[in-house]
Amino acid sequence: MSIVTADHVSKWYGQVIGLNDVTLGIEPGITGLLGPNGAGKSTFMKLITGQLAPSKGALTVLGEPIWGNPSLYDRIGFCPEQDAFYERMTGLEWVTALLTLNGFDQKTAAEMAGRALEEVELSDVAGKKIGAYSKGMRQRVKMAQALAHNPELLILDEPLSGMDPLARRKTMRLIKEWARAGRSILVSSHILHEIESMTSNILLINQGRILAEGNVHQIRDLIDEHPHTVYVKAAEPRALAREFLAEDNVLSLKFEEGAVVVQTARPDVFYARLTDMAASGEFGPIQEVTSPDDNLQAVFQYLVK
Amino acid sequence: MSPIHDQGYRRYGGVRTPAGRAWSVIAKAGIRTLISKRAFIGLLLLSWVPFLVRAVQIYAATNLPQASFLTPDAKMFRQFLEQQQVFLFFITVYAGSGLIASDRRANALQIYLSKPLTRMEYIFGKMAILMAFLLLVTWVPAVLLLITQIMFSGSFRFFVDNLFLFPAITVFSLIQVVTVAAAMLALSSLSKSSRYVGVLYAALIFFSQAIYGILYAITRNSRMAWMSVGSDLAQIGDAIFRVPLRTDLSLVVASLVVAGLIAIAAFILERRVRGIEVVA
Repeated sequence: MSIVTADHVSKWYGQVIGLNDVTLGIEPGITGLLGPNGAGKSTFMKLITGQLAPSKGALTVLGEPIWGNPSLYDRIGFCPEQDAFYERMTGLEWVTALLTLNGFDQKTAAEMAGRALEEVELSDVAGKKIGAYSKGMRQRVKMAQALAHNPELLILDEPLSGMDPLARRKTMRLIKEWARAGRSILVSSHILHEIESMTSNILLINQGRILAEGNVHQIRDLIDEHPHTVYVKAAEPRALAREFLAEDNVLSLKFEEGAVVVQTARPDVFYARLTDMAASGEFGPIQEVTSPDDNLQAVFQYLVK
Repeated sequence: MSPIHDQGYRRYGGVRTPAGRAWSVIAKAGIRTLISKRAFIGLLLLSWVPFLVRAVQIYAATNLPQASFLTPDAKMFRQFLEQQQVFLFFITVYAGSGLIASDRRANALQIYLSKPLTRMEYIFGKMAILMAFLLLVTWVPAVLLLITQIMFSGSFRFFVDNLFLFPAITVFSLIQVVTVAAAMLALSSLSKSSRYVGVLYAALIFFSQAIYGILYAITRNSRMAWMSVGSDLAQIGDAIFRVPLRTDLSLVVASLVVAGLIAIAAFILERRVRGIEVVA
């Protein structure tokens, strides 16, 4: 059974369209909602947390219509993208206060808040004011309030945003643990590899429309089907270029300062060959390999063509 | 072999506050926050000084023959509630200006409204905070004065002769408090700065009074008093306490202005209290 179903859902903000005729079903487990900034991810998340009413269409969460159904909010945990707390409160006070809104008495709420903070590894700073928390801690205390009441569905809006790599890895591990414990999780991001490391099940959203849904590898295949640009910064770019020209998969080449920019039809073959070339040492040191095409915007541009 | 303990979450099996009472959580939290502030407690205590003065007046009038000119009547209760308006203003500004503005500044609304809490419950909870303190400086001392009169005189005669007083105190206090609280909450939802909200509220009260004052000075016609929120409430109060009306303003017009103000406040709150709409 789908945990979230949308049937021709649209949301307008006056003349601006936030979500455009979205029809989908989200299955239990971790689902990544992937899209660039301004794609409509937050609008979608606010719709499925019941904070916004759809302008058109029907939306159900956990089998019930979500709009105007606050009793259902008890089964959902929402972690917003923006900071949303009183900095003068401690993490424990804040999570406890929010738990009382779920109907728990003060004592039970404090106990549950303590457990949730322990889960996100904030026990040692639970008594400190949120104002003194780092960005990563703030993200985690927001996640603690989302999971403290033990919801069936967690909705995490850009939970990794602003975190350092270590905190990011910890958080991704936590999210996967929560899913293993039986929770369904919808997590948004604008970075493909972040989502990829948490789940293979993704929804691609751009300009308020769901462009693709399904397995991340299918999306990867879509990406790999279109010409892929690779920037190679090396000590001897001309030597590299000569070698690349002999490859069938290389479609074009151009030089930039200390680098060669290659367009390839088979990125997997190209990267394998490049690795061999770097390992041989015949072409001097290769300092940097980046692909501007790896960013989502390029994928979206390709998918909407 | 030691047993394996499940350290994961378990569903809570205890008693929960029934649905629809989340407003009381908001109200209790707000009241607790305010009474933890010394300055606010000082303001509340100060607002009870007129009560003490009136209580002494009642004591003197009922026990000292030479002070019989101080005998309380309906007018005294009306005057008492009018004197309390100063405190009503300061408590409204102190307690009310940050009620929604602070939540907006902290972006807390989007989290609150993702909990089992409706917008109506949120507004009702915030309103309850302000109303509780405003009734504490209007209705509560006025009713206590009535009880004081009964106690000092040792008879129910005054109470029976002025049977309308208790409902009058109750109805007027409620009208005044609901109007003021609704207006302040609406203003508080318009900004993230509680200082700015305080200034807006002061402007609403004093500017409307000043405009009426200027027009009255020019035209000598007190029918224009509808422009002043204070005058509208004063006219309604005079009528409820059966004392001579102070202006030529029609009671119907004054009531319509007050009802309109509450309706506008409700409209603003409906528009402003919601999860932040961001296309991101």
